[in-house]
Amino acid sequence: MNMLTVGELRKSFGVIAAVNGVSFAVEKGESFGLLGPNGAGKSTIINMITGLFPPTSGAVHMKDIDVIKNTKQAQKLIGVVPQEIALYQSMSARENLKFWGRMYDLSGSTLEKSVDEVLEIIGLTERAKDKVETFSGGMKRRVNIGAAILHRPELLIMDEPTVGIDPQSRNHILETVKRLNSEGMTIIYTSHYMEEVEYLCERIGIIDHGELIALGTLHELRETIGDHSKIVLSLDNKTSNHEIIPQTLTGHFLEKDIQLNDNQLIIFHKDPQFILSDLIQSVTSTGTKVTSVDIIEPNLESVFLHLTGRSLRD
Amino acid sequence: MRKTWTIIRLQLKGFFKSPGSIVLMFVLPVLFSLIFGGMVANSEENKPLVNIVAKQDENSTRIVELLKKNNHFEWKKVSFAQAKKNVAEQDAIAAVVIPTKIQQRMIDKSPLFDIIVQRKTEDYLALYPHLQGTAELIAASYQAVGIQGEELFPKLLEAVASNQGIKVEQQLLQADDSTQTSINLMIVGFAIMFMMFGLSGAASTILDERIGGTWGRLMVSPASKLQISLGYLLSYFLMGWIQFAVLMAVMNILFDTTWGNLAYLIPFASLVILTVVGFGLMIAGLVKTKQQASAISAVLIVSTCMLGGVYWPIDFVPELMQKLALAVPQSWVMSGFKEIISGSLHVETLLKDTLALLGFSCLFFFIGLRGIKFE
Ligand SMILES: Nc1ncnc2c1ncn2[C@@H]1O[C@H](COP(=O)(O)OP(=O)(O)O)[C@@H](O)[C@H]1O
Ligand SMILES: [Mg+2]
Repeated sequence: MNMLTVGELRKSFGVIAAVNGVSFAVEKGESFGLLGPNGAGKSTIINMITGLFPPTSGAVHMKDIDVIKNTKQAQKLIGVVPQEIALYQSMSARENLKFWGRMYDLSGSTLEKSVDEVLEIIGLTERAKDKVETFSGGMKRRVNIGAAILHRPELLIMDEPTVGIDPQSRNHILETVKRLNSEGMTIIYTSHYMEEVEYLCERIGIIDHGELIALGTLHELRETIGDHSKIVLSLDNKTSNHEIIPQTLTGHFLEKDIQLNDNQLIIFHKDPQFILSDLIQSVTSTGTKVTSVDIIEPNLESVFLHLTGRSLRD
Repeated sequence: MRKTWTIIRLQLKGFFKSPGSIVLMFVLPVLFSLIFGGMVANSEENKPLVNIVAKQDENSTRIVELLKKNNHFEWKKVSFAQAKKNVAEQDAIAAVVIPTKIQQRMIDKSPLFDIIVQRKTEDYLALYPHLQGTAELIAASYQAVGIQGEELFPKLLEAVASNQGIKVEQQLLQADDSTQTSINLMIVGFAIMFMMFGLSGAASTILDERIGGTWGRLMVSPASKLQISLGYLLSYFLMGWIQFAVLMAVMNILFDTTWGNLAYLIPFASLVILTVVGFGLMIAGLVKTKQQASAISAVLIVSTCMLGGVYWPIDFVPELMQKLALAVPQSWVMSGFKEIISGSLHVETLLKDTLALLGFSCLFFFIGLRGIKFE
């Protein structure tokens, strides 16, 4: 049985269609990523899944529970890490965790034990008594996650849990999520950082303008752009006859795989290491010097670029 | 219920841990009460001084007692020379000289008292009717016993002086009582006003919680809307009661203030606090941010408190204003507390106040709960 099934989900805020017919399913034990730029509709999707507000239309099922009808029942199964740092700043980390634990029906020694374990997991045992407002961004984010895993949810839903933090905290969080997933917790993770979903998620949905424009494993998504690496040659701008370069290359490459922007020559190819020396030779034979070479492995960034013509972070 | 209680504890802790709330809920009302109450009490203590020059005989003693019945003035027996000096230096507004042969004066129908006065001040003008009245009382008493014999006269004066039923006396007692009640009412009024500030501030933290995300996190937790709403509302109610109870107790301990029959006070105060919670909720429901809430509530609270007779007794304002005052809950609050604290307890008035406040509560809660978004 699927852990989560989302069917034709739509949400409009007035005239804005924030989410426009999104469908996907998440299997038990899977780690599922939603990747998309700011304003794509990720949080809106998450908020409907977690039952914060109902969709304009569409269906959400958690196992066989209808989330829209039996919201509270479904909410017992999940842990939610909101995009905001949803904590009481003037309370200590421990007080916050205890409060949220109680909201998830924990009490007494079970609660104490769970709070201690979670403090250990998020690496804040030493700072447990300090007020959250005295914490760094990364530490706050860790407490924010801690508050969602106290009751060991079957499904952990995280909305951009690493926004605005230092690399060390980010690594700590990614490791923690990876470990929770390997221990059997199903994960839904949204981000606009492709490295994070690439690292964490077995399957990835790409969201843009409220629509799911691609869905699959990292490998499948790379396939959609032909799994081509991007070779970027910077050309010496003293020589001005760059325009003739593409013609000299058409024998070796398909025309659609060749792009020339001023002093940059971009070539898409499956196996850059095989053709690189030939390529450079062909270019230099036209009298143009190559000043640098960059090979970019295909990634979600290029998939997004390929699908939308825009970069993820603009 | 356990989740509700958890929310209540968190809210109370957050509220009473903040120095701002403590100042607003406890320090300011006490300070206001001390300053304003002190002004009333002070004007009591700064009574104008009147000197009396009298012999030690029985008649004179009785007459002095009679004069002293008016406690709007401070009476002090001094020598004739001292009295002249005090009046000249305006330490005393006047001096009353009780002649040794008062019976002779009465037979002669000449003025009973000699009065030394420097300037006919307002205080003197207020004193004069009292002296006149006392003189007439003495004269009438003398006439009444005149035929029977002189030895009876002091006895009659004694009876008159100790009579609790004479008219002047009664008025004085009433005036005195109502001053005390109005001081107490003022304390209650200030407590309620600052409670309104405190609780509308507390309720509008929901807006901050919405922006901060903790509200949303509560909404996606398994806690039901009912548990959450109850948690917040009860916490505000308790904040109000804690403030009210502490202030009442402090005033009681420090100044021996009494608050009337608790069997009436507690339920009525609960209703008042409920209305204040409703008010705070309404403010929070009407605006988008906490800043807006505090701006709106400052204007609303001060103006309605003025209109509703929190700062001064409602009887002092023109009739039109008294009519308008019925449109704000504070007038009913003050009216109800007045019945309870003064001990007059007109059931009908109290019932009207209660019904009016129930109406206001319902209205406030209706508007407030509609405005609070549970998402
Ligand atoms: N409460 C709201 N009212 C109006 N518009 C909203 C609201 N929430 C989100 N939106 C709009 O919906 C779109 C998607 O927003 P969101 O789901 O927050 O995107 P993301 O989380 O991917 O950054 C945006 O254009 C945003 O402005
Ligand atoms: Mg978002």
